[in-house]
Amino acid sequence: MIVTTTHYVEGRPVQEYLGIINAQSIIGANIFKDFLGGLRDVFGGRSKTYEKVIEQAKEDALRELAEKAQAVGANAIIGVDLDFETIGGSGSMLMVIASGTAVRL
Amino acid sequence: MKTWFGTYLTSSHAEPVEATVLAYEKNIAIGFRQANGDNSTINWNIGDIDAAFDNSLQATKISNIKDPGTKLLINGKNAKEYIEQLQAEHHKPWHKKENTKEWSRNLLIFLSIASVLVTAYFLIVPWLSEKLASTVSVKTEEQFGNAVYDALSLEEDKEATIIVNNFFKELKVTTAYNVRIIVVNSDVVNAFALPGGNIVVYTGLLKELKTYPELVALLSHEFIHVNNKHSTKSIFRQLGSRVFLSLLFGKFGSVTSVMIDQADKFKSLKYSRGLEKEADVEGLAILKERKIDPEGFVSLFKHLKDSAPASAMPELLGSHPDIDNRIAYIRDVSKNAAVEENIQLKTIFEKLK
Repeated sequence: MIVTTTHYVEGRPVQEYLGIINAQSIIGANIFKDFLGGLRDVFGGRSKTYEKVIEQAKEDALRELAEKAQAVGANAIIGVDLDFETIGGSGSMLMVIASGTAVRL
Repeated sequence: MKTWFGTYLTSSHAEPVEATVLAYEKNIAIGFRQANGDNSTINWNIGDIDAAFDNSLQATKISNIKDPGTKLLINGKNAKEYIEQLQAEHHKPWHKKENTKEWSRNLLIFLSIASVLVTAYFLIVPWLSEKLASTVSVKTEEQFGNAVYDALSLEEDKEATIIVNNFFKELKVTTAYNVRIIVVNSDVVNAFALPGGNIVVYTGLLKELKTYPELVALLSHEFIHVNNKHSTKSIFRQLGSRVFLSLLFGKFGSVTSVMIDQADKFKSLKYSRGLEKEADVEGLAILKERKIDPEGFVSLFKHLKDSAPASAMPELLGSHPDIDNRIAYIRDVSKNAAVEENIQLKTIFEKLK
């Protein structure tokens, strides 16, 4: 499975377009992570705990995207776009949306 | 997750088809197009497959023991190495009962962190706040107390103020604070102490007092609040637990924060009742040392009770202990106290009338 943000795959023309697919992952940092993140907010510095949460959400979204592509018989996803949003009452949850075009090369 | 392109054979005689392979932690998913054009995905468990490198093909050959005859070919050695890694991981003992193990481990971590936080909230934060409060200098407390008093802008009864201050001086208590009593014109039956030595007494309460031991009781109670830094400690404790809670729960919605606020207030009320009791008991010691009638406290409490008619609020929700409780423990502590008439205090007290 080729997953790429570009619109072409070098040297391999698209044989078949299988439609737009998207996948989302909504993830909550737990209260301890929020506590540690809160400390970082006060004392400054990089918040590794939140970074890991974002990384995890991104991985999950891309994985789900690949699953969907496989299910429609694609062997590549082109033009992949990742969107990061915070949602929930006070923005304490993270949402990652991955979308792209499933194609057969 | 890893992905590869491969060739899939549904049986040993079938035509090989192009396949996309997604390798997850527990399984690999093979996607291919059937002869009739339909898409199909099959899943092989990591435990069921066997991956070997075929030198002549320079490809990884994967077969499934549960589905003999099927075969998957992936170019290069990468797939074999990755699948072997997954299988090694899969065979580790904790993977077998993964769910229960993980749950009990997470629960243990959660409980230990929660107990650390609870200890911090109930013991460490208050202790630290009080330590900090005790480092505040008398001068700083005075400045703060004066600022608060000025902000209140109360109407002072100058004549009564002089008399009550003389009365307090006659008690000859030793303290680092410059205690200043201010009598304020108001019908309120109350008195309070500010950090740094300002004690405010309302004329409403002064009028109620019938004998001088009552005034001694009132002033010693408020004096203990000042001398033991009760206001400063309360402020620091509240500030400390606020900062701690907002770090912990600051990101929650408004409903949660209201609940947490109330719970925090409830806790500080208990502390406040503790301080009031301390002020009562240590204030009583001042009376006993000077052989002043401890009944002064009892009648003072009775005046307070009369002024606040039958409040139905249980002690648990009050900042002060229940008046009947206060009377009970004062009577308990003041048993067999020696009592002598103090002419000087009496004379000064008469001037108020």
